[in-house]
Amino acid sequence: MTALESRPAHTAVPSLAIRASDVLTSEWTKLRSVRSTYWTLLIVGVTPIGISAIVALTLATQPAAGRSQIDPLLPSFIGLEYAVLAIGVLGVLAFSSEHATGMIRTTFAAVPRRRAVLAAKAAVAGTVALIVGELISFASFFLVQAILSGHHRGLSVSHPGVPGAVLAEGILLFVCAMVGVGLGAMIRHAAGAVAALVGLIYLPAILGLLPAPWNDRIGRFTLFYAAQQVVALHPRTDLFSPALSMLVLIAWPAAALLTAAFLITWRDA
Amino acid sequence: MIEVDRLSKRFGPVTAVDGLSFAVRPGHVTGFLGPNGAGKTTTMLIILGLDAPTSGTALVEGRRYQGIIRPLHEVGSLLDANAVHGGRTAWFHLLSVAQSNGIGRRRVTEVLQLTGLDAVADRRAGGFSLGMKQRLGIATALLGDPPVLMFDEPVNGLDTEGIQWIRQLFKSLAAEGRTVFVSSHLMSEMALTADHLIIIGRGRLIADTPTDRFVESSSRRDVLVRSPRAGELAGLLTARGAAVVPEDDGGLAVTGMDASAIGDLAAENGIAVHELVPRHASLEEAYLDITSDSVEYRAGVPTAAEVPASPGKDA
Repeated sequence: MTALESRPAHTAVPSLAIRASDVLTSEWTKLRSVRSTYWTLLIVGVTPIGISAIVALTLATQPAAGRSQIDPLLPSFIGLEYAVLAIGVLGVLAFSSEHATGMIRTTFAAVPRRRAVLAAKAAVAGTVALIVGELISFASFFLVQAILSGHHRGLSVSHPGVPGAVLAEGILLFVCAMVGVGLGAMIRHAAGAVAALVGLIYLPAILGLLPAPWNDRIGRFTLFYAAQQVVALHPRTDLFSPALSMLVLIAWPAAALLTAAFLITWRDA
Repeated sequence: MIEVDRLSKRFGPVTAVDGLSFAVRPGHVTGFLGPNGAGKTTTMLIILGLDAPTSGTALVEGRRYQGIIRPLHEVGSLLDANAVHGGRTAWFHLLSVAQSNGIGRRRVTEVLQLTGLDAVADRRAGGFSLGMKQRLGIATALLGDPPVLMFDEPVNGLDTEGIQWIRQLFKSLAAEGRTVFVSSHLMSEMALTADHLIIIGRGRLIADTPTDRFVESSSRRDVLVRSPRAGELAGLLTARGAAVVPEDDGGLAVTGMDASAIGDLAAENGIAVHELVPRHASLEEAYLDITSDSVEYRAGVPTAAEVPASPGKDA
């Protein structure tokens, strides 16, 4: 142990960029040093590929009649149904695992500016979600189209509207991870936060019970409908346009993170 | 230096901390004593900016904790040894905390060695004994080599060897000129570890005193004397300068004269003595005395069982 006299002076205040990179590095270390991250990412990676392959095979072997209405990008989208939940859980765990163990106090004592912690956790989980999301959506696209083209129904990646739609699928995972981080910070308990996440993601199933046109009028504000509009090759005309739907997609995580930013600053840790 | 000024914290109808003021000075180990529920942890949480006070202020090195950039260089703390992710290794736990304050890997290795955890650095903390977790917590607190250190009940769950080690560590940290603030509900432990005591009960300050003065002033020493001619003996004793306080059961509590002198005096005057007992009130009793009004949860029978623990077990 160094004696106090020989301590280096810490009077020089590090720049904001250095402090931001400190917190980001710390959160990245936390994410990569627990096994739950790898299990969650395994589910995120494997289920969409498997499910979209099955859906594509089913579609491809359907009789020719009635085929034409089916969006050739649909199998990949359906494949993401479980991945969005798993990546959302990864986001939830960023805070809930620290609240469950009490580690959050160490974290907030080390970084008293709690919004910096929120931002760093969101950035780290978001980056991982975006990279994994894009990898999966492109992998799943090529797999699905390979299966479909075997039956002369495939699409090329250069087909108009396709690159944007495939990119948007990756963004969907990012959006769900961000919503998860926000919910985890707000609700603090994993079970409660995951329940809220499930509710948000599968809200359209409940809204579908409303009488028309209210099911769609409210439904177009949900993550699921907005995502469907964004990734479809032929978006539905009775819902929000893809551009507006993209705004809806961004609004959900923004709202979750802003609420979290407000709450964590004022609550006792 | 930690300065707490008229600090209060209410949780709904419950007042956990009630107008508390004290200062913790560098170069000493300061014990923060009080029964369970006295408000020790809440006070520490407020000092670390983790809980917001209802009123009053807490300053560390003259500043509010929340305003400190890279605070681990200023204040190291251990609140709860179990507050680590069980799936993360000791190394990664320390590294993640270090990185948040711009502290390098070399320092992580150093604190692992300092706390004797270098051999288990790559093991997941979930498999650690409480003693190892305490060491990990102390390693975390030491990461930034801070001038102020705060520990909440650090000896809980440690074996004798661990307690010796921690006591030595605190003393050497204080000898280096650091402020060392250690909470405990065990008077016996603090009497051995701390130079200075801040005692609270029900969120209020009861005593703020050097340990040796507290020990001196609170260690009652007297001699219990029983005699069939107690009144006569009392007169003789007072004439020789002793102080005599009659007890309810007819005994005499004598101070200012030791047992052998009292016995000799009685013999010279042909007074029979039936009982002659030198008495020492322990530190533990003195502590119980002054905190007895402020114990939040009291056992039905106030007996020796209420004494937190025997020195043999914890010292």
